[in-house]
Formats: sequence, structure tokens, C-alpha cells
Amino acid sequence: MARVPEPLVVGRVIGDVLDSFTPTTHMSVTYNTKLVCNGLELFPSVVTAKPRVEIQGGELRSFFTLVMTDPDCPGPSDPYLREHLHWIVTDIPGTTDAAFGREALSYEMPRPNIGIHRFVFVLFKQKRRQSINPPSSRDCFSTRSFAAENDLGLPVAAVYFNAQREGAARRR
Amino acid sequence: MAVTMALATATGAAECSRWSMASLKGALPSLPERCTIPTASSSSAPCGHRSLRLSVGLRKPEFQFGSFSGLSPLNPLLSLGLSESMSFEHNFTIIDNGGRVSAMRHGRKVPKLNRPPDQRKALLRGLTTQLLKHGRIKTTRARASAMRKYVDKMITLAKDGSLHKRRQALGYIYEKQIVHALFAEVPDRYGERNGGYTRIIRTLPRRGDNAPMAYIELV
Repeated sequence: MARVPEPLVVGRVIGDVLDSFTPTTHMSVTYNTKLVCNGLELFPSVVTAKPRVEIQGGELRSFFTLVMTDPDCPGPSDPYLREHLHWIVTDIPGTTDAAFGREALSYEMPRPNIGIHRFVFVLFKQKRRQSINPPSSRDCFSTRSFAAENDLGLPVAAVYFNAQREGAARRR
Repeated sequence: MAVTMALATATGAAECSRWSMASLKGALPSLPERCTIPTASSSSAPCGHRSLRLSVGLRKPEFQFGSFSGLSPLNPLLSLGLSESMSFEHNFTIIDNGGRVSAMRHGRKVPKLNRPPDQRKALLRGLTTQLLKHGRIKTTRARASAMRKYVDKMITLAKDGSLHKRRQALGYIYEKQIVHALFAEVPDRYGERNGGYTRIIRTLPRRGDNAPMAYIELV
């Protein structure tokens, strides 16, 4: 049963980062037992380490690519460095998690300086076991063109969370 | 205070005794006689003339309240019923919706945000400044929906771009670099869009007081 991707439309993830797609695979991203739902607000201190990404769909023979980007870099009011790339993991076998894949680009801790940033996890299904070359720089990344270059097609799952700079006085 | 002025002119006019009928008549609050007093009296105090002329023009409404000081003088409803000698055009300066004061909130659209008007204006100015600076802020739903009008107003001023509009924006936004940056980038960013420059996304309530929160962002 495909879940309606309305939170992604409302949060303008579909539009800024992705094109409209139908989610076929269920993906769950967990930071230290905190499950990431669309639009959840997390502290940067929570997201320092890479999350546990479980893919509950596909078969063991199918491979997936996970991309994590920040479309509001350096600030949501003027994102001239859209998007900033944080993490690429390729060749993830289905029904497992991202630790079994090949980390093409190492995980970079989110550092939102200005405003509230969205951080998007996008899952693509690979047609075959391929090697993906990571782009030269992390800035000015385009998920659409990355998918087009590596022949990945439309995404199969996406989730996003929000984060802002943790000031010294911020207490929950 | 008006009584002492009348007494002063009366003593200037009639030098014989303080407690004459002329002084008593001058002390009583009656308007047409007070108009003729400066022209009739040959008082030697020039400041008394000027203050009298001022009092004829400006003290006229308050003088009516002063005569009925036993009741609450500032209640417009009571004074409307009791002061029948007031002029017709004077009634409109007290209540301007025809005296319709309702007990319910029907048709009142201004959000009060639980603050007095000066604080409310300052809060909205601060919120629009921060939204224009950061692009996306998280605040309560009531404040986010109250802010929309002012953010759209600022972007419309920037779309116009003239010096007068820039100065109007500088008078509202607290930081002037934000105004200059806004005027520089708005024509490219919002040139084709007519209105609706913000988006509100509702989110989870705040933990401390369960206040419904929302993100407001520039489209």
C-alpha cells in the first residue's frame, strides 16, 4: 500500500529536491532510537553520527542507493549553494540496512548555520550493481541530475527532517 | 483653571470689587458670553487674552464634561445622553461606528495576540525581521498567521523599489542590511508571483505549554 507523499509536497521536498514519485519501498531512518518522520525537528547534537537506515522492501538481490542532502544551504531565505551533499551509500541490498552498502561519500554532520534547514534522505533503486562516482564538491549538488547521470530513475522512498543551529541557551 | 481665568478677566474688567455679578457670570460655564469677554474687556494682561482664545477653541468639549463631574466624565455613552447642548458634528468624534458597541467579536479581524497594541506591533516587527533574515522560522500558529500580512507588505514595498518605499521599509524592519538585501533580491525572486509570498506548515505542539506551533517560510 503506497503512502500518499503529502508531507513531502507540503514541505516542498517534492519540488525543490525531487520530482513527484510514488513510494514503493518503506525506509526507516533512526538516529539513536529516534525514528525520523517527515518534518521532525532534531538537534544537531543528535545527528552527529550516521543514522541506521533500514530498508523494508525489495529483495536481497536488488540494490539501493541512499543520498542525503540539504536543500537549504547556506540559508533557506537565499539558498545559493543548493543543495549540500552529506552522504551517499550505494549497493545496499534490499531488506537490510545501510551498513551493508558501500559508502561512496562519508557522512558529514549537519551544521545548519542560518535558519531552519531541511535534511532529505532519498532512496533510489539501482538497476544493477554499479559503481557510482561521487561528485567532486559537496556544494551545488542536484539530486535530479545525479539520478539522471547514474541512471537511477525516480526515487522509491524519501523522508526529511528539520534542524536548526543549537545555540547555547536552547533548552528543550 | 478656567474659573480662575474668568475671575482674572472679570477682575480686570470690573476693578471695583471681587464678588460682583459680572465676576459670577463670568465664572459660570456659558460659551457665547465667554466669546465676547476678550473683545469687551480692556484687560491689560496680554497672556490672559491668548489663553482665553485658546480655551474657547480647545476647551469646549472638556468643559461640558467638567460641568457634570459627579458622573464619570469620560464615558461617552453617558455624556451623549446628558449633554443635549452639544453640537451635532461633535457627536461623531466620540464613537465612529454610530454607537454600535457589541458584546461579541463579530467581524473584528485584527488578531490581538494577547498583547497591548504597542507590544503587538513590536512583536510583529521583530517576527517579520527574523523571517526575512532567516527564511524560515518556527513560531506559534497564531503568530505565524498574523505575520503573513506584514511580510507580504514588506515584499510588496521591495517590489516597488522606489526611495520612498525603501524608507518606509526601513521604518518597519529593525535591521537595515536586511532591507537593502530585500530590495536587491526581491525583483528576481518574486517578480512573477502576485501575492502569497509565505507558506505556513503546522507542526507538533511545543513541549512546555502545548502551544500549537508552525513553520512559516518564504515561498
